[in-house]
Amino acid sequence: MDFSLTEEQEMFRGHIRKMLDKFGGTQVAREMIDQNPQNLKKVYKTLAELGCSGINIPEEYDGMDLEALDLVPTFEEMGRSLVPGLFMETSALAVPILKKYATEEQKQQYLPAIASGEKWISFAALEPFNDFSPAGIHCTLQQKDGQYVLNGTKTLVPEAELADAFLVLVRTNQEDQEDGLSLLLIDKTDALNIEKQSSFDESKHVAKMEFENLVITQEQIIGEVDKGWTQLQEGLLYFNAALSSYIVGAMEQVVHMATEYAKIREQFGQAIGRFQAIKHSIVNMKVNLEIARSLSHYANWVVDTEEFDREAAVYSARTYATEKFIEVSAHNIQIHGGIGFTEEIDCHLYVKRARYYDQYLGSTPFYQEKVVASLGW
Amino acid sequence: MDFSFTKKEEKFRAELRTWLETNLPEGWLEGKRDLPEDLDEYSRVLRAWQNTLYEGGWAAIAWPKEYGGRDASLMEEIIYHQEMVRVKAPPLINYIGIHMVGPTLIDIGTDEQKERYLKNILTGEEIWCQGYSEPGAGSDLTGLKTRAVKDGDRWLINGQKVWTSFGHVADKCFLLTRTSTHPEKKHRGITVFMMDMDQPGVETLPIVQMDGQSEFNEVYMTDAVATDADIVGQVDSGWHVLIALMLHERTGIGAELFTLEKQFNDTVELAQQYKVNGRPLIENPAVRQKLANFYARVRGSLLNYYKNLTTTIKNGQPGAETSIDKLVVTELHQALSAFAVEIQGHQGVLLDKDAVADPKWQHLFLASFGQTIGGGTSEVQRNTIGERVLGLPKDMGR
Ligand SMILES: Cc1cc2nc3c(=O)[nH]c(=O)nc-3n(C[C@H](O)[C@H](O)[C@H](O)COP(=O)(O)OP(=O)(O)OC[C@H]3O[C@@H](n4cnc5c(N)ncnc54)[C@H](O)[C@@H]3O)c2cc1C
Repeated sequence: MDFSLTEEQEMFRGHIRKMLDKFGGTQVAREMIDQNPQNLKKVYKTLAELGCSGINIPEEYDGMDLEALDLVPTFEEMGRSLVPGLFMETSALAVPILKKYATEEQKQQYLPAIASGEKWISFAALEPFNDFSPAGIHCTLQQKDGQYVLNGTKTLVPEAELADAFLVLVRTNQEDQEDGLSLLLIDKTDALNIEKQSSFDESKHVAKMEFENLVITQEQIIGEVDKGWTQLQEGLLYFNAALSSYIVGAMEQVVHMATEYAKIREQFGQAIGRFQAIKHSIVNMKVNLEIARSLSHYANWVVDTEEFDREAAVYSARTYATEKFIEVSAHNIQIHGGIGFTEEIDCHLYVKRARYYDQYLGSTPFYQEKVVASLGW
Repeated sequence: MDFSFTKKEEKFRAELRTWLETNLPEGWLEGKRDLPEDLDEYSRVLRAWQNTLYEGGWAAIAWPKEYGGRDASLMEEIIYHQEMVRVKAPPLINYIGIHMVGPTLIDIGTDEQKERYLKNILTGEEIWCQGYSEPGAGSDLTGLKTRAVKDGDRWLINGQKVWTSFGHVADKCFLLTRTSTHPEKKHRGITVFMMDMDQPGVETLPIVQMDGQSEFNEVYMTDAVATDADIVGQVDSGWHVLIALMLHERTGIGAELFTLEKQFNDTVELAQQYKVNGRPLIENPAVRQKLANFYARVRGSLLNYYKNLTTTIKNGQPGAETSIDKLVVTELHQALSAFAVEIQGHQGVLLDKDAVADPKWQHLFLASFGQTIGGGTSEVQRNTIGERVLGLPKDMGR
């Protein structure tokens, strides 16, 4: 038995960390608050140059044909610095779906471009006042006069302004309650109506998209019509495994911040880390981090296998990570005292991102129900 | 990353499985697992089981071959625990002898001590207990007051121990005493004796626990006798002996984690079978979502153990981060058994013959409160993790 990342994977982590540190860590995320994506674009360009964007793409499409586990160091390091952008949506959602369900032409069109870092794909799934389930998808693709047209509204579409294409979840069948959805891949054009939304997690941009009789061709439909929800689940497994890694990286930085601050900040004549109220709080954060890390490493291993707990492992890694990320990032603010409540120090960036991800693409109970279903309870 | 077992490990598992099938007490595998209520009878049955283990070569697999062990690898120990939990094997009455005292003697005992004690530990001939805690010395053992004083060629021991598990069945006690006083350096002046429990100067009084059991005891020593040959290590260097002993507890937490996992699976079964208003509990979203939450925590703690085990195997010794495992498994045990009682609603408090599901749940719930205290309280564990793993400043006074 060996439950650890390989030396190569750890070495790769070192490169990514060094690169992100050079960009100033969370500085890249902070610049996005100021609507300045220049460094983010440079980071993404460098990630592509390092080969990150092609890690899980087959060799015939110019990738490295590696596995989810090989993406873990990249996601953890990006999480540490809260790097926004569409890496996860592209590599851990669009790529697995394209690999499994796209036609040869669609693969040719997208996979090499993703591997080289030319195309980043966003995900337009959520709708106003609806939950993340088949019943919540009303954005409709209809056949009219021999062609497909799309109508409806999507909300909270991540980094729409940076996306080169959108994976869109739409309804194609009004009768089917269990599914009846389809997946589209729509390139960014001026015809798309994109409106930036303001969110309290300002370093992660989101937008509203409205579709009004947008003409869609057969070639833009990924996989089987009316089976979109079912097919999406495969992508969601990879996405949530990746998300748990990203969060583990972020939690690690949060625990690090709290620990280092508790060593240097003195009150009542001693370092605050000597007070057990502080010490034990940080220990709890550390314990949560280590459990989350173990769950997420396993999730990223199991997702490329056919083990019976494949789904349960991924979804429990996601719920544990999102739930504990909120908890540790909140404690981190408390441990910092007044300065923790300021905009100046990084604490708030983490708690905001934690809240964003906890509520992104399904809540904790949603994924707990998935664990229950996948174990056949 | 690799979760498979090697051929050699699988062979080891198969061998143990076969052995257990033929050697477990009559009817055990089929569910006849009641142990006698009467203390003498209880200890006779469990000593006999330990002797069976010894004869099969399965009593202390981690010990070196020359002392009657198997030189088992860490992975083989893990497999051993998995299999024992799987068949719900009878408890090891000489747990302390096998897992703590024996390995310590092998490490730092004299040849005479090894000769005198090791075999009797294996066979169950001599059961051991640990005498550390006292009324005035718990988390801070340096406060101990039990004194050993040289009297000619023997030592006379006076004082009191408390919470001594197995004290009522034990033949020998691994006893911490004070042999000299150093107010500034309280870790000094402590000496470990291997004391005979069966002598006029030792009186053992069982304590009734909150779960109705009497597994731990008060032990009173009034001019109890020991000799130089009974000292482990050197006079006044007992603290080092204690640390050595603790380092030998290699895989005990693993065994507890497998038990936790089993208990979790049983809880799922409980929720599937237990009906309220005619409907199984698992159909209640609040119940099953909490179960899913426990699933994540139980799997997470087990995986975290494997992660630390991997580090131990690679580095040849466990790192400070293993202290996380003890904290997590005991707190989770407590939370899970509380949950198993809670979901039974108003009937959850019913005990033994009136219990409506397996009566073990109520007992596990009550017993779980001892887990976060014995072997170092959760607060002390958190201090250790904070200071050793995170490098936070030490508590005042230590
Ligand atoms: C089931 C069981 C079996 C046991 N078996 C044995 C045995 O076989 N042999 C043996 O010698 N002992 C045994 N013990 C005793 C056990 O080791 C002690 O109970 C334990 O170490 C705590 O000591 P105490 O009970 O004196 O509590 P105290 O040390 O008085 O602690 C009381 C409270 O204060 C807290 N506290 C103490 N110090 C600190 C600190 N520095 N920082 C923060 N909080 C602190 C504790 O966490 C606890 O909450 C057993 C106990 C149990 C429950």
